[in-house]
Amino acid sequence: MKRVLFLFKQRPLALVGIVVILFWFFAALFGPSLLSFTYSALDTDYQMTRPGEGGHLLGTDALGRDILTRILHGSRSILTVALLTSLFSTLAGVIIGFSAGYFGGRVDAVFLRIMDILMAIPPLVLAMVILGILGDSTIVSLTIMVSIAYIPATARVARGAMLTCKNYEYVDAARIMGESNFSIMFVEILPNTIGSIIVEATARFAYSIMMVASLGFLGVGLQPPTPDWGMMVIENKSIMMNAPWAVLYPALAIASLVIAISLFSDFVSKVLIHDS
Amino acid sequence: MSFLRKVLQRLGFMIITLVAMSLLIFFLVEIMPGDVAQMVLGQSVTPEALKALRESMGLNDPFYLRYLRWFTGLLRGDLGESLYMRGVQISMILWRKVFHSVILALAALLFYVPLSIFFGVLAGVRSGKLSDSVISFFGLATMALPEFVSGVLLITLFSVVLKALPITSVIPIGESIWGNLDILILPAFSVTIVMFGYVSRMQRSSMIQVMSSDYIRAAELKGLPRAYVIFRHALKNALLPTITIIGMNMGWLFGGLIVVETLFGYPGLGSLTMTAIKTRDVPLIEACVLFITFIFVVSTFITDLLYGLLNPRIRFSGAEQ
Amino acid sequence: MIPDTILKLRCLGVSYRTYYGTVVAVRDVSLTLGENESVGIIGESGSGKSTLAYAIMDYLAANGTSTGEVLFKGENLLEKSRKEMREYRGNRIAMVYQNPYSSLNPSLTIGRQLDEVSLFHRNSSKDEARAASIEVLKDLYLGDAEGLVRRYPHQISGGMQQRICIAMALLCRPDLMIMDEPTTALDVTTEAVILDLVKDLRDRFKMSLIYISHDIGIVNKVSDRIAVMYRGEIVEIGPKKGIFDRPEHPYTRALINCIPRSGLVKEQVRLNTIPGYVRKRSAEEHGCPFVDRCGKRTSGCVERYGMIEQSPGHFAACDRAYAKDVPDESIIPTAAGPEAACQEGELLLKIEDLYKAFRSRGKTVRAVDGVSVTLHRNNVLGVVGESGCGKSTMGYTLSGLLTPTKGRLLFDGVDISISWKKRSKEILREIQHIFQNPGRSLNPSFNIETIIGRPMKRLLGIKSRAERRKRIEEILRKVDLGKEYLLRKATQLSGGEMQRAAVARAFAIAPDLIICDEPTSALDVSVQSSVLNLLSDLQYESAVAYIFISHDLHVINYISDYIMVMYLGRICEYGKRDEVISPPYHPYTEALLSAVPEVDPSLMKRTIRLEGSPPNPTKKIIGCPFAGRCHKKVGSICDTTPPPKVDFSESHFLYCHIPPDKLSTNGIT
Repeated sequence: MKRVLFLFKQRPLALVGIVVILFWFFAALFGPSLLSFTYSALDTDYQMTRPGEGGHLLGTDALGRDILTRILHGSRSILTVALLTSLFSTLAGVIIGFSAGYFGGRVDAVFLRIMDILMAIPPLVLAMVILGILGDSTIVSLTIMVSIAYIPATARVARGAMLTCKNYEYVDAARIMGESNFSIMFVEILPNTIGSIIVEATARFAYSIMMVASLGFLGVGLQPPTPDWGMMVIENKSIMMNAPWAVLYPALAIASLVIAISLFSDFVSKVLIHDS
Repeated sequence: MSFLRKVLQRLGFMIITLVAMSLLIFFLVEIMPGDVAQMVLGQSVTPEALKALRESMGLNDPFYLRYLRWFTGLLRGDLGESLYMRGVQISMILWRKVFHSVILALAALLFYVPLSIFFGVLAGVRSGKLSDSVISFFGLATMALPEFVSGVLLITLFSVVLKALPITSVIPIGESIWGNLDILILPAFSVTIVMFGYVSRMQRSSMIQVMSSDYIRAAELKGLPRAYVIFRHALKNALLPTITIIGMNMGWLFGGLIVVETLFGYPGLGSLTMTAIKTRDVPLIEACVLFITFIFVVSTFITDLLYGLLNPRIRFSGAEQ
Repeated sequence: MIPDTILKLRCLGVSYRTYYGTVVAVRDVSLTLGENESVGIIGESGSGKSTLAYAIMDYLAANGTSTGEVLFKGENLLEKSRKEMREYRGNRIAMVYQNPYSSLNPSLTIGRQLDEVSLFHRNSSKDEARAASIEVLKDLYLGDAEGLVRRYPHQISGGMQQRICIAMALLCRPDLMIMDEPTTALDVTTEAVILDLVKDLRDRFKMSLIYISHDIGIVNKVSDRIAVMYRGEIVEIGPKKGIFDRPEHPYTRALINCIPRSGLVKEQVRLNTIPGYVRKRSAEEHGCPFVDRCGKRTSGCVERYGMIEQSPGHFAACDRAYAKDVPDESIIPTAAGPEAACQEGELLLKIEDLYKAFRSRGKTVRAVDGVSVTLHRNNVLGVVGESGCGKSTMGYTLSGLLTPTKGRLLFDGVDISISWKKRSKEILREIQHIFQNPGRSLNPSFNIETIIGRPMKRLLGIKSRAERRKRIEEILRKVDLGKEYLLRKATQLSGGEMQRAAVARAFAIAPDLIICDEPTSALDVSVQSSVLNLLSDLQYESAVAYIFISHDLHVINYISDYIMVMYLGRICEYGKRDEVISPPYHPYTEALLSAVPEVDPSLMKRTIRLEGSPPNPTKKIIGCPFAGRCHKKVGSICDTTPPPKVDFSESHFLYCHIPPDKLSTNGIT
């Protein structure tokens, strides 16, 4: 605990990151109910208004919808998908990566081949094609798609952590003390890898935001009129010269969240991974 | 001799992957809902006309036959005909777009590789000092930043506020890219921002690890000058992991810049793929995705090759003398 | 004629600013080294000996500061700028390190790494530098120098790598050479060659030498004087004979008596131990560094402390090693009880023609190549050999972590040639394993109670937690660890404590056979002896059989009833301890015995130099595996025909072509 405080002093920016993340969580939970506008209300009097006019703190878009409301609302879906994705992909990655790393041999070879093949297609393209086929996405389909896209990455990290640990003699000792493979993997080895896994999970959180936003940008985000930050950017790109705020603010929202999570992830890695 | 064997093995694997991918792509696209013939002819047609068209397009044939037809066509260089743009040979439009994507990729490479490596090395050598903190912070912040976000920020600054660079990167009809090179700047820079985070951090940690190794200590205690130690002893070893990363991302760079091209309207392979998906132009989708995969697989292969050549431990296998 | 003083250290101190405060690594070290003189610096971990070496070169981490003076030929090196130091490093003072492979740059050729020394210090041209490199390689008796310079470090063996490092240090004919444990990573026979080489180079080039090691025996071979360091200070310094015959400082005396040396066996003596362990030194500490662990301490020890000359050239910071006013605890090796001579039980283990091979990169590595041996209850079988001889592999097949490729293992009549997965709980309980590195064999996330309790629960079926705890406390008492260790994590223990916990874990389930795989090799000398005593006591008390694997002949000699010498997967010699240690010898046993460094400097041994390195384990050996290096090779028969088994007694046999009467009948010394 003392170490955490010591590291905090060394890296004040991490605190900024945490504050921003908390802000967005708060915004997602309570934000929309605090505002008077709804995200789909078309305010025809105030189309493409500058921030500040007509009660629209961040302006409106081409259809007269309030940007601030849409951003706050959009935070819900993006945070939900990203959080669930990082959880699922980490869980699945640990199971797959641990098995591949622990058993080695053919299991590992199969794993590596599959990973090679999956890495052959850029995840974005893969996700796009599939979602494009399926039409507009829901939170569930987005979560599933992005999780699958990121499982190779988390599995790799889990496998690496397992490979480091499995050659330690305490694993041998456990074996000749009659422990089962399952017990060795998840009771003996897992606690020693939990640091790397947690760090990876937080990094995944940031990357999931990135991917969900990008998918929205490419048009396969959530069905309109549900606000999707990425979609907000592409929808209003054409009016950028006249109403840059419609594009800028969603972009800044994404940027702030991503940077904050990255800073947090870096801090977590410094805490958990003992680098002297 | 065994190095050559490894090369041939990887080559073989690459070919297998490509064939497997082509199968997967064809399968995925073909199971898309929506009737191709319907899309071609429109809504108000007679069922007989639909049936006739399906027949002529060979859509009623079993899966493997259609696949083989497509695959053999690929090998001949015939990528099929676009559905949306009736009668247009895909090969005609694809190559030009690919060419544009290559130019953009090269521009991005030119920007980000020297920049990232330089700052990564600097941060590593001056670890713990202020310059390191600043560089590390930038790297960390931009690591997971989506390209379109950095793109938007750049556009806002340079096009909207400063009005210095074009807001979109389209090439006016009739002109070629060479006369319009300024459209490359913002997209290339967006890519640079993302890659910088990733590569400079990798380079930094690799540099730190190398600089604290025993052989660097031994070199310094041999009385060699510090600059010499950094450039001739450390760098070679520190660059290896970074080169791997750069290589791994070559595929993305040359074929996967869908987001950047869409944001800037740049006429490359990425934009073409977007259009294809939006219009459900089946043959075009297949061709584009296959091409992207091809680029990815080939770049991985070349990266492996390069790494093997540069790392003496792999190039000359160890032996007890 | 007084030789020139090359190096004079005056009150040298090194301290580091850490998160925990200021840590003192070296304190108040004063030392004089003349031309062509050599001094060996002995110390355990935490003694500061390596830090001292780096301080002389003025090479410290960013958070380190040095005080005092380092006078090299009159010039204070600590006042030099970095640029000025470059003139000295690699040129006038050169250093050789412990791990030769990691000290060489893996992506530069050997030639390149040698050339750059000349290029920078001598301003030579490329051709001149290359010529100088080839020259120095020849000086070190390395054949095919032209081929060598074109290769990369990973393509040559460890012994040759170290010779290259020595060559690099030698290129500019330095006045002072500092060697930091250069042979620790090498086999005993390779080590002997390198040590001879160092002696030879000193004679030829008249260099001054500082040789750092944890092993007094090694230092005896290359130095005339010995300095003993403890927690950053030199506690005693003097001629090696004087240090051995009459150590004045209690630490020196205790240390020497800790080492299992030639002639010491468990029935006759117990090894001396030093209670406690090495703590970090803070800046506030003054006085004797050894006071908390010393058996001879008095109230005055903390204040009164300083170097006194005991006899010409022999200085010690304290002379109470033989003081009579405090009772002598166990500073002289005491005799073990008469019961220590153990009774042999019935047949427990029978290894029939064990053969274990691995496939690595398309080639077959024969780790164990036809070993047949038996072990009775209550006996200790010492297995000795160098790296690659297959001793550890054999141990792993016995535990079930590896399965034999061919051959059978019979334990109490039951065939155990199966992997751990298939073994029954009874068998698992009866055969246990203690590993070399306790930091790796104890799960860092668990506390001691869990580590010892889990196997108890599974293999002994003790379900009640309270019951287990009671038994764990009991076994911890036996290994001299108190109740407070139950809740501590393994990482909070010192090396010695961790290994004791590992021993407790093995004994907690009452096995019949324990495989001890180099259990003391990763520990400091003073800790080694306590663990050895412990293993010996427990073995006698519980009538367990050991297969004790080690590369250290002295340790094997101390604890074993029977000894088996292995080379390249095969048995060279087997017999009762006294039968193997005394002639007639297998040539390899003879070479091993002659190569092992002795603590007593007066034991002059005729060193047998084995040329070459252990051969490639992937090549199938038709004849005798030792034929390629044997100094007593009969002829081509050794290469073509497997050597016959020669029985000297019911228990003693060896495999050799040499006619029995021609084998050595005289001892090694």
